[in-house]
Amino acid sequence: MNTSKIEIKNLTVDYIEKKKSFTALKNVSFPVNEGEFVSIIGASGCGKSTLLSVLEGINKPAEGEVLIDGERVNGTGSNRSVVFQHYSLFPWMTTRKNVAFGIQQVRKELSRTQRLQIADEFLDKVGLSEFKNKYPSRLSGGMQQRAAIARALAMDTEILLMDEPFSALDAKNRIALQELLLKLWEGENSENKKTVVFVTHDIDEAIFLSDKIVVLTSHPGTVYDIVEVPFERPRNREKLIERKDYAALRSKLLSMFYHDIADRIGGNEVVI
Amino acid sequence: MTIKARFLRITHIFFAILMLIQLLPNKSSKEVCTSSLIAFAIAAEAVVIICSFLIKKKESLLLTLDIFGFIYVFLTAWTLATAKFDLLNDLLFPPPGKVIAQFAEDKTVILTNIKSSVGIIVQGFLLAAVTAIPLGLLIGLNARLGNAASYLTKFFSSIPPIVYIPYGIALLPTFRSVSIFVIFLASFWPIFAGTMSGVLNVDKKIIDSAKVLNVKKPAMLTSIILPASLSQIFLGCNQGLSVSFILLTSAEMIGARDGMGYYVKYYSDFGDYTRTITGLLVIGIVVIAVTFLFNIFRQYLLRWKG
Repeated sequence: MNTSKIEIKNLTVDYIEKKKSFTALKNVSFPVNEGEFVSIIGASGCGKSTLLSVLEGINKPAEGEVLIDGERVNGTGSNRSVVFQHYSLFPWMTTRKNVAFGIQQVRKELSRTQRLQIADEFLDKVGLSEFKNKYPSRLSGGMQQRAAIARALAMDTEILLMDEPFSALDAKNRIALQELLLKLWEGENSENKKTVVFVTHDIDEAIFLSDKIVVLTSHPGTVYDIVEVPFERPRNREKLIERKDYAALRSKLLSMFYHDIADRIGGNEVVI
Repeated sequence: MTIKARFLRITHIFFAILMLIQLLPNKSSKEVCTSSLIAFAIAAEAVVIICSFLIKKKESLLLTLDIFGFIYVFLTAWTLATAKFDLLNDLLFPPPGKVIAQFAEDKTVILTNIKSSVGIIVQGFLLAAVTAIPLGLLIGLNARLGNAASYLTKFFSSIPPIVYIPYGIALLPTFRSVSIFVIFLASFWPIFAGTMSGVLNVDKKIIDSAKVLNVKKPAMLTSIILPASLSQIFLGCNQGLSVSFILLTSAEMIGARDGMGYYVKYYSDFGDYTRTITGLLVIGIVVIAVTFLFNIFRQYLLRWKG
């Protein structure tokens, strides 16, 4: 099935900061298919998080629209769950309560016991069973992100939006969480995999995780290119990085990155 | 900590010194009630020994011991300056034993006074909390209203609450109801201001995180905004509570027939400074005890803070 789950159409988003308005995104369009893992990459300040906030329903576009299942996004909705870089969890709820609270918002029909049972199940999947009664302040950054992922998956929404979820983690934790995310996402019933939109500035992360990578340029953010990632799943990081086509894809994406930066700081006058 | 480190502390030496100086002859011509002081000091030392057994954390134990050390040194100096060497005016400066004996003698009256004062504070303060917190949450949610309300709050909290007393007396029938009313007014504004500033300063990321979870308005208020503003609310409550004590004891000195402030004022009018000092110390102890209990409550509700 290759229908468009999310359709981003001619999106222009303005940002107001200190009473000055500037354009964060200009005329951005691309589709996200059902069950697809799409990464959005770009240098910091290119508006990739702004784009995600429109998908979340927190931010409203100046022009254009986002369609989910053909319907215009107008605010937040129970078909999406989100993992942020920080502060996804509420510090006054235990890890378990945080997950259960998320479930409660989308599935009101469940009893408290059922919610806690699902929460425990997902905390177990991300390896946090022992920490379920701890408050987020007692967890490491990596554990907090695990818990946030557990909540997002436990909410069982069709769409998963992730805003640089691993950027604040050290390299070891980042890799561990990328693998965990893929395992959980691929491990699901392949017929109805979640549609994932993942924002990152890490090229290797984007290649390892995605089916498709949207490269944004900066000031204002526009789509530079959309690159398919052809590698079969399940993916193995060690084998992947030895492949020639991986290196080719990586250098292609890198050149897009630097191209953009060179353009911004003065084109051919700059020698890098 | 080893047993030796737990029990061999300088506090016990101060206790021993306090006991030994009781053997010196009394120079003061008046009654000094040495036995009351000794009983009190032994009771204090018993508490110290129990604490040495029970308190696990080194810092907390040392803190407790140091505080008792200070008390022993203070009592020693006080005893020497009064009963033993008679350096101070014995009408204005009664020896410690006499104050302790007075406390024991008046304990029923003192307890009644504490009950009356604390009862008024609790009622006025709770009334303020249950109205100011929900109002602050609702008004703080709306940025425009919140802004206007914070100006009004500044105006109302700039009026020293004590000047409400004459108007309160005209308005309400009994001293008790006037006191509750004034304490309500005095606590209301700081709690209200604290709640609003808490709501206005909730991290936007937390709000976004709740919004994307589709949290509906009522749950947003009770499960997100309220806990997120709790530290600030407690700041306001602490302020309200300390103003309440100042206010109530002042009011009691003006127009009451019981209460802790009344006790101090009444006996100082008769020149009974033993009872005056007893009353002062009782007020100190009660304020500390109430603040301590309130802090335990606060720490429990904020136990999730890192």
